[in-house]
Amino acid sequence: MATILTVDDTATMRQMISFTLGSVGHQVIEATDGAEALEIARGRKFDLVIADVNMPNMDGISLVKNLRTLPDYRFTPILILTTESQDKKRQEGRTAGATGWIVKPFNPEQLLTVVKKVLG
Amino acid sequence: MKQISDLTHRLHESTSLVNWWIWAIVAIVAAWLWSAAFVPVAVAIGSGLLTLISAFLIGLVGYRLKEHMKANDNNEAAPAAAPKASLQEELEALLPKSESPDPLPQVDELLRSMATEQQKRHLEELLRRWVDVAQRYGDATLSLRKQIHAVTQQVEQAATTIANSFQAVIHKATVQARQAMELLEGTQGGTVDGSPQSLKDFIRVSDERLTRMADEVVRVADLSIKMVEELDAVQKRTQAIDGFLVDVEKLADQTSLLALNADIEAARVGEHGRGFSIVAHEVRRLSKRSHEFSDRIRHHLNEVRASLNKTYGDMRMLSAADVKHALKIKDEVIRLTRSLDGKNREVAQTVSSINALSREIAQDVQNVVISLQFHDITSQQLNGMLSPLDELRRTLFHLMQETLKLDKSLLEGLPGDRQWLARAQQGHRIESEIKVDMTDVAPPPPAPPASDRTDANAGPAVELF
Repeated sequence: MATILTVDDTATMRQMISFTLGSVGHQVIEATDGAEALEIARGRKFDLVIADVNMPNMDGISLVKNLRTLPDYRFTPILILTTESQDKKRQEGRTAGATGWIVKPFNPEQLLTVVKKVLG
Repeated sequence: MKQISDLTHRLHESTSLVNWWIWAIVAIVAAWLWSAAFVPVAVAIGSGLLTLISAFLIGLVGYRLKEHMKANDNNEAAPAAAPKASLQEELEALLPKSESPDPLPQVDELLRSMATEQQKRHLEELLRRWVDVAQRYGDATLSLRKQIHAVTQQVEQAATTIANSFQAVIHKATVQARQAMELLEGTQGGTVDGSPQSLKDFIRVSDERLTRMADEVVRVADLSIKMVEELDAVQKRTQAIDGFLVDVEKLADQTSLLALNADIEAARVGEHGRGFSIVAHEVRRLSKRSHEFSDRIRHHLNEVRASLNKTYGDMRMLSAADVKHALKIKDEVIRLTRSLDGKNREVAQTVSSINALSREIAQDVQNVVISLQFHDITSQQLNGMLSPLDELRRTLFHLMQETLKLDKSLLEGLPGDRQWLARAQQGHRIESEIKVDMTDVAPPPPAPPASDRTDANAGPAVELF
């Protein structure tokens, strides 16, 4: 099973993501914003990162850009899970280096399917 | 003010009916041309120059007066349109012009000063209203911001509690479902080393073994009946033996009697019959021993018969009791196994229902996980409302700052309440509160909620790049 870092400033979202991924055996670590996530990611290697876009201190797009500069995260899948559905924002995420884009609210089965796919 | 208005109105009427100053110039020029025919050339030239200067001055006065009356007419028309114009437009219209035109004649100065006095009063009234409205808008936006922030926090707290409770419920439901499945597998499983591992197998094995035992009991009962019949035959044979013994005793008695007769006959012949007498004696002794054997046989035969009779009675009772009891046990075993089998089917149905409920719960879990994300979505929507509110408050603050920069000398010396001016100073407080609040809450960009996915620019819910 994989070790996954989930980043969201809303506690309920973090709980739901942890619950969904934890139900199939994944180990989930939570961070409340991009800055905290970056600090955690520097300390250990994760198999997957799931991040929100609109967060205080450091938003999800900036987090993706910063993670891609770290050697350990050059090829790590990073999923954006956000309420943003505009193509412009999507393009920003793609340009920053995100692996995929999921619009909230997420369906647990759908999330598990996507996670399984990106983890290979 | 009404008198001034009437005066300018009458002047305007007179100039609009006849441009009297034009006609005056024409008359002077005509008079000069007419007089030129009767006076010397030098005098005519001098009077002509004076006539032209007079005509120029008269024309200039007439032009200025007309321009002033036009401006007065516009000022009178403006208050009538004021209710339709916006507050800001009125303010712009009434703001004093920093650059004044050329110096006016004395009449114009008088009229203009009166109009300025009216404008200043109007300006003060509008400023008073503006400050009041701005202050109330500022307070309302501040209150609204705090309310939204409080609602967001309360919803987050409630959503977190719901999520925790939901996770606890799901955990218990999962444990319950697992136990139900284990029970289902336990009641429907197979055997290990011949021992039943489930209730169903236990019922089946018990039924087989109890039925086998009942069959054995019935078979033993059948054998008992056969043994009773055999005992009957043996008893009849003992009776036959008893008859044989009677015959043997009769034979011994006859032999003894015969030996006695022989002994008597031997004694009659004397010495010659001595040998015969010995034989007769031995025959009598053998006959006696035959009696003894016969008695002993009868004695044993009676004992055997007594035992047979007792065994016969016991066997009859045993065979009758065994069959009845065995049949009764067999019926009870059949009834018991049927009951257990029915119970087992009920258990299987119940566990199947629990299993089906578990699948439904799993579906409900998905719905709850989706629904519980409402807090994040509503927070985004509420935060999207905060940005326009903050923008409105900033705009109000800057407008109030601009208001405070107005030339206060315009308002000095006017009667009325000046407290509004002090309230206008509170614009600094509003801005400082805005700055404090902005540190509390992250500056969220106005994010469209997920419900706006019907937008033309919105993409699919899931997309892998």
